[in-house]
Amino acid sequence: MKRIRLFLIAVLFVAFALVSVHAASVKVIANASVAATAVSADELRSVFLEEKDALADGSRVEAVIEKGGPAHEAFLKEYLDKSDSALQSYYRSLVFTGKGAMPKTVGSDAEMVAYVAKTKGAIGYVGGDASAEGVKTLQVK
Amino acid sequence: MKSRLGHFVLAAATIACLLPAALYAQDIKVWDHTIAFHGFLTQGGIYTAGNNWLTMDTNNGSGAFTEMGLNVSTKLTDKIRISAQVYDHNIGQLGQWHPTLDFATLDYKFKPWLSIRFGKVKTTLGLFTDTQDLDFLHAFALMPQGIYPIDVRDADIAHLGGDIYGTISLGHKMGSLSYTGWGGHRYDSIYSGYPYFLQARGTQELRYDGTQYGGDLRWNTPLKGLLVGASRLDEDLSGYGIRLGAPNHEQSKKDFTDQFYGEFTYRNLTIDAEIKRFYRDHLIRNLTAEDSSNVHSWYVSGSYRLNKWVQLGSYYSHYTITSTFLQITDTSTPGGHDYDKVVTGRVDINRFLNFKLEGHFLDGYGFGPYPNGFYPQQNPVFAPSTKALVLLSSFNF
Repeated sequence: MKRIRLFLIAVLFVAFALVSVHAASVKVIANASVAATAVSADELRSVFLEEKDALADGSRVEAVIEKGGPAHEAFLKEYLDKSDSALQSYYRSLVFTGKGAMPKTVGSDAEMVAYVAKTKGAIGYVGGDASAEGVKTLQVK
Repeated sequence: MKSRLGHFVLAAATIACLLPAALYAQDIKVWDHTIAFHGFLTQGGIYTAGNNWLTMDTNNGSGAFTEMGLNVSTKLTDKIRISAQVYDHNIGQLGQWHPTLDFATLDYKFKPWLSIRFGKVKTTLGLFTDTQDLDFLHAFALMPQGIYPIDVRDADIAHLGGDIYGTISLGHKMGSLSYTGWGGHRYDSIYSGYPYFLQARGTQELRYDGTQYGGDLRWNTPLKGLLVGASRLDEDLSGYGIRLGAPNHEQSKKDFTDQFYGEFTYRNLTIDAEIKRFYRDHLIRNLTAEDSSNVHSWYVSGSYRLNKWVQLGSYYSHYTITSTFLQITDTSTPGGHDYDKVVTGRVDINRFLNFKLEGHFLDGYGFGPYPNGFYPQQNPVFAPSTKALVLLSSFNF
């Protein structure tokens, strides 16, 4: 019985550690002009799929994406549930039907932070370990 | 066959050469506004055994399959965006290099749940009506022809008028509901499949147009990746032309399309299914005769992306037609149906360039007033079945 209890504790510990690592793999950042300090996952998805251009508190936002890399992959998996090619097809379908535009695309975490810091309403993401100096980090509910 | 498919190879090589220059010439800045330019070019080749297909001499191999578009858009304010696209194509006898305005819209967003757009607007009908001419977006070289027939796609792809649309969050983890309501006028190209069909019956169509209105409702369900929806389109159409040297007029009495659909995506897997009914009752031959056409079609498709370069897919498309005037009543005969089994492979060289190779195994030729790819001009005697190999290359920027 004791062994089973130890085993369960170990499993829980590992699962918690994995979740923590996963959650820390990407963080959502925004320009200082964005009033909100937190967003819901649904809201985030709607913003990046261009269904919404404002958060619940009325802050107008503009999504910025990375061209590729671990933070991009983690963000797609965590919040958009799309592969990169599916996301690119989605944006192209908006462009070529007149129903949307390609989002601003940057090449790295550093570029993302620099762009979001200087662009009013910009909202993006960077790796969990990346510096977020000059931008605010939004909590995802 | 060699020389025609040679055109395909030449065009594909041209695409590859033009690619590097085009990729970086996308955006220009005018005052505070970024004007974005995008475009695409598709070149295809088809070889068939059985019937000639899509108004081409495909039994000998044909590369007469070219589509292109150029798109420009800019955001005027946070809420207003304008965009336009010119489209041109030549697919066998269709299009014939007559460019058209694919869309030109002004979009105003009041709220996420309430927006409008007007001008020439691409029609939201089913999963893919508005993107059916954009080959590079899809896993398949040819969309399921029972629902998205390439030869009459200009019939419902856009309307001159307006849309009201939005997305409503349902809360309580119930997903979201997106709606579009539209109304306007439709203008068909005289280089489309229906006028080409009429040519074989002695009528030269000069104009075919009319009002159309409808709506689409789709639910992004709480089950991650599952979307379901329904669309309805009603039309009132008139055609004017010359028949046997005299003016000819046709007029619809009742014309509607119902479409129900679902899409499920899980990681690299996409499964789509749609069912459509198209009904048209119209007066023809200077309103002295009447035809009721009834089309039932559906498909199920699946595609799986193995990695960022390769995607595999397959679909089954089911199409039946009846026509009172042409006395097509038995959909079990080859003339009353078209059942298409398809396998495809898509290779993405990069984000901008892809190639597709696709096999079609078609049972029937479904020849009726709503044409579905097979015409007597290329097929004096129809064969009951057709096998086709389709090769397509697309590039977009």
